[in-house]
Amino acid sequence: MVLLWQVLANGILLGGLYALMALGLALVWGVLNIVNLAHGAFIMLGAYVCYYLFALVHVDPFLALPAVMVVLFVLGYTLQRHVLNLIIRAPMFNTLLVTFGFEVVLTNLAQMIFSADFRTVNPGYAGANFNLLGATIPLARILAFTTGLSLTAGLWFFLLKARLGRAIRATAQNLIAARLYGVETRTIYAITFGLGAALAGAAGDLYGLVSQINPYIGGSLTAKSFAICIIGGLQNPLGVVVGGIFLGIVESLTALYLGPTYTDVASFGILVLVLVLRPTGLLGRTA
Amino acid sequence: MKLLIRWSVLAAALALLIVLPWVAPATLVQFGISTLMLATLAQSWSIIGGYTGYASFGGSVFYGLGSYGTAIAMIEYHLPFGVGLILGALVAVIFAVLVGLPVLRLRGHYFAIATLALAQVVPAIVSNLEIAGRNIGLILPLLKNDALFYEAALGLLVATTISIWYISRSRFGFGLMAIRENEDAAAAMGINTTLYKTLAFAIAGFFSAMSGGIHAYWITFIEPGGEFDIGLNVKMIIMAVFGGPGSVLGPIAGAFLLSGISEILSFKISNVASLFFGFVIVIAVVLMPHGLADLWHRYKKLGLRYFSENIRENRV
Repeated sequence: MVLLWQVLANGILLGGLYALMALGLALVWGVLNIVNLAHGAFIMLGAYVCYYLFALVHVDPFLALPAVMVVLFVLGYTLQRHVLNLIIRAPMFNTLLVTFGFEVVLTNLAQMIFSADFRTVNPGYAGANFNLLGATIPLARILAFTTGLSLTAGLWFFLLKARLGRAIRATAQNLIAARLYGVETRTIYAITFGLGAALAGAAGDLYGLVSQINPYIGGSLTAKSFAICIIGGLQNPLGVVVGGIFLGIVESLTALYLGPTYTDVASFGILVLVLVLRPTGLLGRTA
Repeated sequence: MKLLIRWSVLAAALALLIVLPWVAPATLVQFGISTLMLATLAQSWSIIGGYTGYASFGGSVFYGLGSYGTAIAMIEYHLPFGVGLILGALVAVIFAVLVGLPVLRLRGHYFAIATLALAQVVPAIVSNLEIAGRNIGLILPLLKNDALFYEAALGLLVATTISIWYISRSRFGFGLMAIRENEDAAAAMGINTTLYKTLAFAIAGFFSAMSGGIHAYWITFIEPGGEFDIGLNVKMIIMAVFGGPGSVLGPIAGAFLLSGISEILSFKISNVASLFFGFVIVIAVVLMPHGLADLWHRYKKLGLRYFSENIRENRV
């Protein structure tokens, strides 16, 4: 029973991070109708920026968060403004291919610059943990969990209340009407993609705290982020949180009962099942 | 007259490819085998991705199933290579039908993502199977005859291309193109879209699996990471798109050209070749989204304006 509770707690904590990972993908997908296959590579880059800030200048990963997000925002903004905006009206397959190209380029550049060695970010509190109803909760994980949820909530309020957030939602809902009301679409697209990249960077920053990083983590993280978006649906950030925690729990339970080699089978199996049975997501309304 | 020239050029190119293994050095023959296989994969992808318009990221699954099917038939049941090849392809076709029926109901992004997930799930399952040698892999009987594998790969590519040529001018092929242009309209015209799509998926699976089977016997050692290599999807899609998806010879041109360039680049540093593929996709999709085949036809008339026209068509 204690074991089960521990596994559930691990799953939930992992889920908070997963939610943050998928959030940027969901934002870009929902607003720009681009499924960004380079999303995992952005997460990987965020993790490396955090790693180098920590290893070279000794900046704590949580303090480094804004810097990491700014770096990734600039990258995302530039890619959308100068490349993706050129093909935004092409068939969806073309944008899929271009972001796929970004993924290949970023992964290989990362391997050439950072080397393929595994890296970890180990601040002083990395080993610290406390006891919650019999389960051991590592401090770094609970901090990552709360940061992830705070950023998700922050994005929700931004989209709901801020002027820029409303312009983004307007563009997503009706491009022509938004333009008529004076929304500069090209900039909004670039800002949205930049925000998606910044969120991916934040997820990467926290990911380095709980797991090892190397240049090749991007691909499977993109696929996981997809799975979460599909499970939760794209309607609102809450869906992504539910999807993230759901996937975190499923992975932890699979690792316990079937063995760690089956975690990917379980998560992607669920992805395919949900896609086939309920393409709008478990929480989504059918169109 | 023009037709005659075209056919004689094709025949000459084919003759050159046939005699190559008896005159060229061994390394070139080996490069030839992998290029011919990639060309076959690009062609198979073009059936489902180019003609039918369903962007599959799961071609590596068929390739892997074909190579594992062949290997298991030869090792466990001591069947000859030819029989193993057919059995492997049959496994892939059955898989394509069983998975295709639910997955091909999805459209757009959703289909792409489902196939991407399949490309991750199937190798994970295979690496847990006792009969497939788990993570360790399988060792096939050794046959050191590169010329034979070369001719087999070439024969498969020719068979795939002839099939595509035949499909492209058949009722079935027009049905697939109708599905690509507008699936609802195609259904309204009386096309059995489910049957057509599944058939296209199965044909693509059949040829990819044959290619995987030849690869397994040639390379003699197979393991999940190598045979279900996700990177294969990258290559087959880029080659098909670069060459011109939905044209009979475009994907072959794309495969030969890109394989050649990447081989020259990876001579120095292996990463440079992959990096090159990444840049090629981005630049090709932005500047020439319809591939080499379209560039060939329209560049003569438009010149450099061809590229700016493409951008103007799709930008915000």
